[in-house]
Amino acid sequence: MPRRACQFLILLLAVAPALRAADGVAFFEAKVRPLLIARCYECHSAEKEIKGELALDTKAGWQRGGEHGAALVPGKPDDSLLIKAVSYGDPDLQMPPKKRLTAGEVEILRAWVDMGAPDPRIAATARITPLADKYEAARAHWAFQPVQTPSVPQVSANAVRQTGLIAGPQTPIDNFIVAKLVANGLQLSPPADKRTLIRRASFDLTGLPPSPEEVAAFFKDEAPGAFARVVDRLLASPHYGERWGRYWLDVARFADTKGYVYGDREESKFIHSSAYRDWVIGAFNHDLPYDRFITLQIAADQAPGADLDSLAAMGYLTLGRRFLGVVHDIIDDRIDVVMRGTQGLTVGCARCHDHKFDPIPTKDYYSLYGVFAGCTEREVPLNSGPKPAGAYLEFEKELKLREAKFQTLFNEKKEEQSRRLRAKTTDYLVAVLGVEKLPTEEFYSIMQADEVNPVMVRAWHKYLLSTAKAFHPIWAPWHAFAALPANEFVSRAGSIIASATHAAQKLNPLVANAFAEKTPLSMREVAEVYGKLLTGLEKKWSANPTNKLSKPEEELRQVLYAADSPASVPAGAIVDLEWYFDEPTRVALGKLSSQIEQWILQSPGAPPYAVILEDRAAKKNPRVFKRGNPANQGEETPRQFLKILAGENRQPFAKGSGRLDLAEAIASKDNPLTARVFVNRLWLHHFGAGLVRTPSDFGTRAEPPTHPELLDWLARYFMDNGWSVKKVHRLIMLSAVYQQASDAPTDVGGYAKEIDPENKLLWRMNRQRLDFEALRDSLLSASGQLDPSFGGKAEDLFKAPFSKRRSVYGFIDRQFLPGALRAFDFANPDMHNPQRSETTVPQQALFLMNSPFVVEQARALAARVGDSKEAVVATGKSSEARIKQIHHLVYQREPTAREMQGALRFIAAATTGLEEKAAQAIPSAWTYGFGEFDETNKQLKTFKPLPYFNGEAWQGGESWPDAKLGWAQLTATGGHAGNDLQHAVIRRWISPVAGSVAIEGNLQHQHPEGDGIRAWLISSRQGLLGNWVLHNQSAETKIQSVVVKQGDTIDFVVSTHQSLNKNDFLWSPIIRMTGPEAIRDANGYAREWNAPKEFGGAPAEVRKPLTPWEQYAQVLLLGNEFLFVD
Amino acid sequence: MHHPLNLKDAFLTRRNFLAKCGMGMGAVSLAALFGETSLLSARAAANVNPLAPKGPPFPARAKRVVHFFLNGGPSHMDSFDPKPSLDKYAGQPLPGEYIKTERKTGSAFPSPFKFKPCGRSGIPVSDLFPKIGECVDELAIIRSMKAELPNHEPSLMLMNCGDAVQSRPSLGSWVTYGLGTENLNLPGFIVMCPGGYPVKETDNWQNGFLPGVFQGTYIDSQHTKIEKLIENIRSNYTSMKGQRGQLDLLQQLNEEHQSARQGDARLEARIQSFELAFRMQTDASDAFDISREPQSVRDLYGPGVHGRQTLIARRLLERGVRFIQLWHGAGQPWDSHDNIEKNHRKLALEIDQPAAALIKDLKQRGMLEDTLIVFGGEFGRTPTVELNDAGAAKAGRDHNPYGFSMWLAGGGVKGGTVYGATDEFGFKAVENIVHVHDLHATILHLLGFDHEKFTYRYAGRDFRLTDVKGEVVKALLV
Repeated sequence: MPRRACQFLILLLAVAPALRAADGVAFFEAKVRPLLIARCYECHSAEKEIKGELALDTKAGWQRGGEHGAALVPGKPDDSLLIKAVSYGDPDLQMPPKKRLTAGEVEILRAWVDMGAPDPRIAATARITPLADKYEAARAHWAFQPVQTPSVPQVSANAVRQTGLIAGPQTPIDNFIVAKLVANGLQLSPPADKRTLIRRASFDLTGLPPSPEEVAAFFKDEAPGAFARVVDRLLASPHYGERWGRYWLDVARFADTKGYVYGDREESKFIHSSAYRDWVIGAFNHDLPYDRFITLQIAADQAPGADLDSLAAMGYLTLGRRFLGVVHDIIDDRIDVVMRGTQGLTVGCARCHDHKFDPIPTKDYYSLYGVFAGCTEREVPLNSGPKPAGAYLEFEKELKLREAKFQTLFNEKKEEQSRRLRAKTTDYLVAVLGVEKLPTEEFYSIMQADEVNPVMVRAWHKYLLSTAKAFHPIWAPWHAFAALPANEFVSRAGSIIASATHAAQKLNPLVANAFAEKTPLSMREVAEVYGKLLTGLEKKWSANPTNKLSKPEEELRQVLYAADSPASVPAGAIVDLEWYFDEPTRVALGKLSSQIEQWILQSPGAPPYAVILEDRAAKKNPRVFKRGNPANQGEETPRQFLKILAGENRQPFAKGSGRLDLAEAIASKDNPLTARVFVNRLWLHHFGAGLVRTPSDFGTRAEPPTHPELLDWLARYFMDNGWSVKKVHRLIMLSAVYQQASDAPTDVGGYAKEIDPENKLLWRMNRQRLDFEALRDSLLSASGQLDPSFGGKAEDLFKAPFSKRRSVYGFIDRQFLPGALRAFDFANPDMHNPQRSETTVPQQALFLMNSPFVVEQARALAARVGDSKEAVVATGKSSEARIKQIHHLVYQREPTAREMQGALRFIAAATTGLEEKAAQAIPSAWTYGFGEFDETNKQLKTFKPLPYFNGEAWQGGESWPDAKLGWAQLTATGGHAGNDLQHAVIRRWISPVAGSVAIEGNLQHQHPEGDGIRAWLISSRQGLLGNWVLHNQSAETKIQSVVVKQGDTIDFVVSTHQSLNKNDFLWSPIIRMTGPEAIRDANGYAREWNAPKEFGGAPAEVRKPLTPWEQYAQVLLLGNEFLFVD
Repeated sequence: MHHPLNLKDAFLTRRNFLAKCGMGMGAVSLAALFGETSLLSARAAANVNPLAPKGPPFPARAKRVVHFFLNGGPSHMDSFDPKPSLDKYAGQPLPGEYIKTERKTGSAFPSPFKFKPCGRSGIPVSDLFPKIGECVDELAIIRSMKAELPNHEPSLMLMNCGDAVQSRPSLGSWVTYGLGTENLNLPGFIVMCPGGYPVKETDNWQNGFLPGVFQGTYIDSQHTKIEKLIENIRSNYTSMKGQRGQLDLLQQLNEEHQSARQGDARLEARIQSFELAFRMQTDASDAFDISREPQSVRDLYGPGVHGRQTLIARRLLERGVRFIQLWHGAGQPWDSHDNIEKNHRKLALEIDQPAAALIKDLKQRGMLEDTLIVFGGEFGRTPTVELNDAGAAKAGRDHNPYGFSMWLAGGGVKGGTVYGATDEFGFKAVENIVHVHDLHATILHLLGFDHEKFTYRYAGRDFRLTDVKGEVVKALLV
């Protein structure tokens, strides 16, 4: 078959020019259409899909072309992308990608194009919905309509009776909800009882249970408005902001760390996360109007009336993952957090192609991209108040030192790189000729300093383009040569020079001379002539910069030295200039810059910091990146808001980068989304589901609101009441809808469940499960351990001794999210999170059953009701009374008779489990410390435990060497001597037995550098057992027999010899019982203590088993009633 | 759902039963004990527990996956893709265009390893992997793998999550999301790496926008103690008997709570989760304890951490864990820019025996036919020698994403197959190119998913592992 096709083609090609149109169509039908259908339609037709935006199923399709432009040029197969692609000539454009066309098939297409590509297919098959149609459709979409002011539906007396709205509508919310219930033949559930109400309200607003006293007070308050008083008290509580601020932190994809960073050059913690978190909490507590709340987070640096401390708000933009510094991804993250967070729109889709469903063209994405590309980051110390002396001064002094160190190297490297760039001018000019072949992104790390840097080649390219607009005294010949077709270059180069000489009065004479001397034969030679001229002059000038240059010389010098020269590193911060440097320089600069951040993080005198965005001086309009590829730039687009929201008459942003304009466009009463999206978020957290059930997607594919009029009415109420969040809370919570029970009476519940199983119409309240933060905070609250203090540095929640602060102050490492947070559905800190998932997995149960944190709370809770023998005697409180008290603390109610019985039975029957735990309760025989060795008396003067264990080693603190204890360190197999004799490290064995023991071990020092170590082995009963001085050598440390009594110690002491240099050592002794009285196991092996094997972090921790009362307390904390709020 | 009556009875029965046999709940399945009622509650649990086992939409050839991740980028022309032409050009520049990789490379670098035909199929495997060579008739070797970028970070992301840059769920997360796990007492997706994290750390097994339970559970297989392997798996403050008593009281409390409320599946699911957790304490310890294996099996896998890690993997597979990733080690051990002969030899020695043992062991147990084994790195290496800053040749190879080898074995894979080819020297995949997206599509296909329809709705659109790409490589399938 291929062979026959070929023969046919040869024949056909011979006559091709003579073909008539009708024959062309026949050829198309016979050969081309079947081929296109068989080999191309799979990916390029409306039926299947349209990849690369290219449709080949219509004539219009290939005429319009795909992302690379028109698919073919009729009559010119060699200029046609289609032919190029099927010929597999270009490795980056090979179609079909899987199975190459046969030579015969390629020839068919070539012949078809050659004959002018006759194509009778006129039917316009549907493509992806054209943008115009999307706008048309979207105009009718509810979310893009202006917020209406719906009238409140009247609820008839009949409806009131029917729906159980006994006291009539409490707020207009009731009218909206009840009207719809009535229409569906449903009714509200009865009002919840008082205990349920106060629990619901407390958890809802503060994330904490009410205290037994608060419950009692509410029961006592029988005057009208009692619940309103509870709501007001809770809204005024500082715990309110901690609860609702955290919801916003989910939206803001908040974390305390940057995500994956290069460990050798970047600090992984943010310096400003706690300041942002505290700002958000404070904003909720102060009921900062929401429009202001948004404006400050996007543009606090420019918003009128913003004070220094409100700069912390901009953490909203700057606390996202760092993506290893890839700027396009950082900007994408910022667009996403703003647009989904405040507008409920997924603009991110439009990064690569027009949004599939919503009217968001790629151009609109890049309009926003341009806003953020026009900004740069800056670290700003906050606290406008007077600076504290002492610690602050110390902070500032060291900070300045570190900053200066960085700046010096930065300037040095900038200068060095600029010098290198100037010297390599020729290489760059040559490289510009192949600019389109450069690697697609700055993804390729520039490893070596002398490599041609694609960033700089692009800068040269841009610069040269800018000189092409009008006659340029230096570059005019360049552009004239460049305009010559390659095959006429040699023949016409002379005439260019002639006309250049003719224009000599305008042309730089040095340039004219250079070309007069040498007629270039190619653009490469043109580049070389320029390069030689520029580098020659550069050499001459830099040899003696004080010499005055002639005017033409100075003009040339400016090409390399002007502020906007492509041959020098421009002014700016390192974040913007990173790619100008080679890898080792980036590492060196990164290290110094991270040392600044580390100081800010660790210094006790450091003020809070903000990281803000600031507008760059230059206002530049962005270009579209085709398919999201920055190397493939499309048309320019102004910085402006989305058309679908801003309307037909939208104006480009006018102020600076446009960031403030963007904030204003969002925080506007005319914006149809801002208020709707936010009141829906409020509704969602009160009821467990939003009126719009896709809280961050209000686009055309979103589920419509269950109660559209109510949504609008609330949005309008919100805006009319000064964007006050607390007023909306109040309105919602005072409604009868909010206050109904979470279970309908059985006789009506069954019917309602059939009509509306998802409870969209709100015929009952939704039972809600506590999220991780509320659960942990409630545990601390029940145990009476909660530390209610506000703000400040984040704390590790999962390391003993356990933090007792509220969970919102827990340290969130987005890279290493603790297992417990993952198990409990904590918000993924990389993603904007409108609503957490709610899963039930056994890991949650394991945490509650076994984690030392929960055990600690169970103990504290039991102690709170006086579970110890002494307490029982002292208070004379009966078991029943204590069970009642504990129920009030945990569940805010009396136990039922059955619960009381069960509890009493449990406590009587439970054992401490001591018998089983006896083995585990034995403390380790080893402890790890440091102290001073007294050489004269050959004994230890002091012993203090090393305070910090990092999982591998005991040492002075988290960082090693420690500021106080220096290099002192003990590991499983050895350690590092302390800095001097006063800080010798001591591995101490405390004898749990009486008898005699033998000691085995091998002490090693393994460095030729320095002068080694000294070591002593000391028994508290027998004194010095041995001593050694070792330098790059080892020694057996064997002692045959030492007599011990219980509690005696044997110390393994190591200090530096004379100098502090390479003093790490290996020494992992084993102590074994000897003699007839030795304790032996079943196999006859004597009891032994193995230092490396038994090495560990728990400082001789006794795991005290839970008492029956403590076990009981723990059970109550595990109950469903503790986790679910009715 | 009117079930409170018999449910109550069941609880009474259960309590009585437990009172009689103390802590006997460990091994006995609830469903077996309590028949229908428990099934009902298991169904209730399934509504809420996202890890409950689910069937795939299409017939599956494989039920579970083990992925050996040779992180750092193993060299294909030194292992599964012989390139005799490199010998011809030894020490000379290769003809054809210079392909830019991350660092500069120079002349041709013939393989220091010897290839010989293996198995009945006679497929050549180098002496780096003699034991895997013995199993070659079980393998489908892909010699035309293609990734996108010559750096570790994006390539790891592409191989694991199908996207070089943006945060997306990993393959293991997708699979656990789609299939749940057969053993609710163990995590469904387990990642083992001895000594610490690979480059890109936990991003490699991230759940992305999927719920947190689908993230891989990382285990540092250097440890041998169960407490270090699974958080909170031991009760250190209460005896098992005491804890059983606690859970019985908890049941009573929860039952009291539930009886006053109408059917809410979440309440019942949480009750079940405590029972599951209780059993997990013993089951999980058992799964990680290889001392329960006969010596002959331990010998088959060999000594050392990789033998142990792989044997643990088999025990986990047997217990219904869905997706296991076995990394070679912290950082990027296979990244041999220098001294490739020594480094690759050492690394291959560590993994050759365990990987081959797993194939043989699974086969002998009848599990190979529905277990998919994936073996490879994030990219391959250059056929040219890497140069140092001064331009002198080192004894290693640079990264190469343009062509490299991986192999599949087990469930639904056509053994004794070589698929695709790189160019004459091993620089670029040129024939039957298998992009990472195609590999993902194929793996999902074997597990019973159509990769184009297996989606998750997030941020207003349906996402899939293969984004808008990927084709199932039919030639690899039985």
